[in-house]
Amino acid sequence: MSGTTPAPGDGATGPQDTAPAAAAPETPTDGTGAEGAREPRAGGETATTTEDPAPAAPAAPAAPAAPAAEPAAESGDGGEGAPAARDSAYWAFAAAGLLVVLALASTTRFLEGWVPEIAAGTPLAGFAEAVEYPVYAILLGLLGNLLLSLTGLRDRLAAAFRTEFFIKTGLVLLGSTVLFDVIIRAAGPAILQALFLVTAVFLFTWWLGGRFGLDDRLRALLASSVSICGVSAAIAAAGAVQARREQLAYTASLVILFAVPSIFLLPWLVGVLGLNDAQAGAWIGGNIDTTAAVAAAGAIVGEDALQIASIVKSTQNVLMGVVAVLLTAYFAFKAAPAGEGAAARPGLATLWERFPKFVLGFLAASVIATVWANTAGEGAQDGLDTAKALRDWFLIAAFTSIGLEFKLSSLREAGWRPIGVFALATAFNLLVGLLLAFFLFRGFTF
Amino acid sequence: MSETPPTGPGRPRRRLGEDWAATLTGLVLLGLALVGAIPAGLIP
Repeated sequence: MSGTTPAPGDGATGPQDTAPAAAAPETPTDGTGAEGAREPRAGGETATTTEDPAPAAPAAPAAPAAPAAEPAAESGDGGEGAPAARDSAYWAFAAAGLLVVLALASTTRFLEGWVPEIAAGTPLAGFAEAVEYPVYAILLGLLGNLLLSLTGLRDRLAAAFRTEFFIKTGLVLLGSTVLFDVIIRAAGPAILQALFLVTAVFLFTWWLGGRFGLDDRLRALLASSVSICGVSAAIAAAGAVQARREQLAYTASLVILFAVPSIFLLPWLVGVLGLNDAQAGAWIGGNIDTTAAVAAAGAIVGEDALQIASIVKSTQNVLMGVVAVLLTAYFAFKAAPAGEGAAARPGLATLWERFPKFVLGFLAASVIATVWANTAGEGAQDGLDTAKALRDWFLIAAFTSIGLEFKLSSLREAGWRPIGVFALATAFNLLVGLLLAFFLFRGFTF
Repeated sequence: MSETPPTGPGRPRRRLGEDWAATLTGLVLLGLALVGAIPAGLIP
């Protein structure tokens, strides 16, 4: 990987950043990679530094910035105030967006306690009790999305809708609620499941994409996103195969489109199929593409399912680096024209670059909390309870951000073939994942 | 997860990745919660 590869995990999107996804609405394509144009690449100079699931969100800062910049440039006074004004506008809108996320998260917390209270003694009491906080958070996020879109504010505020940052911080804190011995015991089946599932689903999607006549680079993006971890994997693959920006935007949109209904569908199917909590968590963690959606669905099923789902998903996330290296190697030595691959040969640096570092935080938090619980005496539980409350706030912020970022528009330009491939690959993933989760986590106890 | 996103021709600028930022934020908050710097009951 060269120094100009995209930075999927960076996420330090600022006013000057250019998001690949933002190009999608401006660059209509059928998403199949059939166009002759080769630029711009997701791994090129304008590569993204964000890992956001919502394709268009990172572009938002430009909206408030433009009016501030143009008059200064035209006035010929050197325009030194323009970048400062642009930065100010960016941060002002980001702060306002953060307030929106906090307001929705607070409303979620309120509804979580209030709805069962007012439904008590009515026929809806059971249903109200069963609805967990991710449902409120996502629905409120979608509602906020609608209102902000109607008022034209959504894209301006989108810099604060940091689903990936919120979910990763929440997962690190989640580590403090998972005893380390649970991680150790779950690691074996989780690794086995991840290896089998990622390999089978990746190869199936790659093959299917070929049957549907998709471009190799789009096949790589779709296969990575379905088999590993959604948008993060798609971004890693985009850098590895030098995919076009609209291909990445399109894949990211597909991931979100399929992940949101899965949050509700899989917990329902868990009940229908009668899976235990460990099997449910493993199935959810192995199937839903985005980490935030995995946490949401796991939380709907229950605390134990959430723990296993997070462990399984984190294990899959680790494989992202391996797949990125393999894809880089394949495109460097097989697919790229002679001479093009020399600068893109993979190595250990690439592996580390693509490694999801928050997994280290998750493991560290679990070790710290386990040691703390065994050594700190009476007051230990207070601190752990506070950490759990913080975890829930970050998870809720992530779930509301899923709703706030949801966007269908970039799917319109893509055509039906990638959607068909993604849908069939998701169905394949569901079936194989169910079999693996059923057998590998059959006897797992907490 | 690259730590050196391109910021201009030939001028890569190192920035803290979102992965690292989330990891550090989570661990710092955990540390503060465990040592009691965030009072119990403050976070609803």
